[in-house]
Amino acid sequence: MKLLASRLADLLVVLVGVSVITFLMIRLIPGDAVAIMLGANTEVTPEKIAELRARLGLDQPLVSQYFQWLGGVLSGDLGVSIWTRRPVSQEIGAHIRPTVQLAAMALVFGAGLAVPLGVLMARWRGNRMNALLQIGTVAGLTIPSFWLGIMMILLLSAVAPEAQVLGYVPFTEAPLESLKRLALPAFALALPILANLARLVRSAMLDALAQDYVRTARAKGVSEASVFFKHALRNALIPFVTSLGIMTGYLLGGAIVVEQVFAIPGLGRLVLGAIAERNYPLVQAVVLVVTVTFVGVNFLVDLLYAAIDPRVRP
Amino acid sequence: MKKHGLAMALAAGLFATTASAQVLQMAVDGSPAGLDPHLVTAFNSIQIVSGTIYEGLTAIDANLRTVPALAKSWDISPDGKTYTFRLVEGATFHNGAKLEAADVVASLGRVMSKDIASPLASRLASVDKAEAKDAGTVVLSLKEPSAPLLTALASIAIVPRTFESNKDGLQRAPVGSGPFKFKEWQPNGFIELEKHAGYHDKAKPKLAGLKYNIVPESATRQVGVTSGQYAMLPNIDAATALQLKGKPGVRLAETLELAYTLVGMNVSKPPFDNPKVREALNYALNRSEIVQAALFGAGVPGGPLSPALKDWALDVKEFPCFTHSAAKAQDLLKAAGVTGPVAVTLLVLPRQDIKDIAQVVQAQLNKAGFKAELKIPELGAFVQDWRNSNFDAFVSTNAGSTDPDDYFYRTFRSGGSTNVFKYANADVDKLLDSARAESDAGKRKAAYASVQKALACDGPAAFMTYGQLFTAMRANVQGFGIIANRSLMTLADTTVGQ
Repeated sequence: MKLLASRLADLLVVLVGVSVITFLMIRLIPGDAVAIMLGANTEVTPEKIAELRARLGLDQPLVSQYFQWLGGVLSGDLGVSIWTRRPVSQEIGAHIRPTVQLAAMALVFGAGLAVPLGVLMARWRGNRMNALLQIGTVAGLTIPSFWLGIMMILLLSAVAPEAQVLGYVPFTEAPLESLKRLALPAFALALPILANLARLVRSAMLDALAQDYVRTARAKGVSEASVFFKHALRNALIPFVTSLGIMTGYLLGGAIVVEQVFAIPGLGRLVLGAIAERNYPLVQAVVLVVTVTFVGVNFLVDLLYAAIDPRVRP
Repeated sequence: MKKHGLAMALAAGLFATTASAQVLQMAVDGSPAGLDPHLVTAFNSIQIVSGTIYEGLTAIDANLRTVPALAKSWDISPDGKTYTFRLVEGATFHNGAKLEAADVVASLGRVMSKDIASPLASRLASVDKAEAKDAGTVVLSLKEPSAPLLTALASIAIVPRTFESNKDGLQRAPVGSGPFKFKEWQPNGFIELEKHAGYHDKAKPKLAGLKYNIVPESATRQVGVTSGQYAMLPNIDAATALQLKGKPGVRLAETLELAYTLVGMNVSKPPFDNPKVREALNYALNRSEIVQAALFGAGVPGGPLSPALKDWALDVKEFPCFTHSAAKAQDLLKAAGVTGPVAVTLLVLPRQDIKDIAQVVQAQLNKAGFKAELKIPELGAFVQDWRNSNFDAFVSTNAGSTDPDDYFYRTFRSGGSTNVFKYANADVDKLLDSARAESDAGKRKAAYASVQKALACDGPAAFMTYGQLFTAMRANVQGFGIIANRSLMTLADTTVGQ
């Protein structure tokens, strides 16, 4: 309970900090929403600019703008998109599903393959296969996912020109088609995580295998498979679970790039567009949602961690 | 497992044939801000609404001439101040309502209304009042004769009268009378239109629908059209088009752009307040080299009007400063009393083709007595500096228009709304004012020829190049014609073969 309370307090500090930083950053970049909106317009007068600024509330001092926004958020109102005049919550609602599905699929790919791969790497330590896998994981860590994405699209268009891999079909409309379309982007997004986690599992396995309890188990005559999977792996998974939480951050950041390449209408596309248009409420709200997700997931991981590792419990 | 796979393959195959034969899959680079034809001006909105969802009384054809659309014919009174339009029969809106003269009157009223604040309002500035004489006849009374009116009317979409004072209703769910009607918009995903069965020309459209897939990444769009997932990439630039040239199954349509690239100069402060320095800059530019180096040869040097406007544009041979001469530029600078290289900062529009051009321009200027530096801000910052005339000079692109009046007037008349150069030339002002009210085509042409000559060499803009505009499509797409104003109205005639 004490753990819960202290974690919740941390969470609050992070959220307020992020909201202030986002609020200031988007306003400090040169060029404001009004100038861009009226950019190509042929009838711009200073009065019109002033009127629009007033209507959007941009003529208020920054501090009062911030508190107005904060008040709205606390009462569940994220504001209205400057450009489309639609509630920000609606805009986010329309874009969140592809991103969640993409991130979930990438997580399944990444985490699901990382464990067997890491175990194999630990098992094959020192032989040639291991060297190959090691090179593979370094490559996976360093290849940028946008480049990988474009290469995969090119490759697929050469091998299977009929395959439809671009765009997004909602899962609820056509589940199989939806999974098919997102498989390639999810893989591009998952690769760095897969590489990272596999290396983590490998070293954690090697650590665990060097522990006294493993030697004891072996001395007791426990089978090698049982030593590997029951004794070593279970312990090795503790750091793995912790980094899963951190990985959600990578996933949400990487999704921005991957959505761009694969033409997926997700949160990344929404926030990129919003930044280019200086759509302040929308940028703030998306960043807030992403932050809450990231912090929330890590909070859950902390709790989970306490559940699997009795030592953490106070 | 096997059975399942077979069923899936069957379902996929069935889906693919019905879709590809009927709905034209397109890929476009950005989401439109909205689809209200009276409020949007950006190209990525225009190519979705103009001539597809909406029609005007007139239209602009592929030769950039004004042709009948919802008005099948019109009469102009001898004094040039009364226009009588007769509407086509059998036109209906996508919501089922009949299109009548009252809708036309309401649409013009909507554009002119202060409350709606349409950026197109200035195009109807000459209109005093619009009246419905009967259900099929509209009479426009003008304050003074207006030569560009018929061209301007092509850009004024006719909407149902119920939207006259409705400001937000059409942005998300457009209702027009064009060959295609709005079906679905998945934000940042796609915009889909379907055939309007009640279109007044019963033979059109031939497609069952149009799907504008929003694909921000250029490499993805290219792969999409080479692999056949997309049937068309409308209105693309030379760099993209030339990469697609010769790819199996892909065809290119091309036309010369109305938009041009320019070095715009701030005439309200040194060094460009001096006409000799402006002329020197013109001589310093080697326009053919720019076309070769930055446009990959896909374009031509051009003056104040696009060579695509064959009825209006003067040949560039008429402009002496279009013959590049670094020596002449340096002589002019000397004559202007300048000693040492003239330091200028060029504000550059952050778009790849413009950045390429700016680098070539910089090199050319530095060989001819200037010391140019480039400043490439991010788009929002560029617009702000441009709008506030916060520059020595800028390198950018300007959209032209099909009638010279519209763009000349707002860009080069003193006090014009996009005259960011702060240019004021009494002769040019007089010519623009008189040409606007002139109904004699020959006299108008002569006036605009004088304007072109006045602007070309020591005006506030060094006009550089007009690029080729391309549309890439699959080889089996038939009947599409590219238009320089980026309207996709010929999609009504387009078919997709097997």
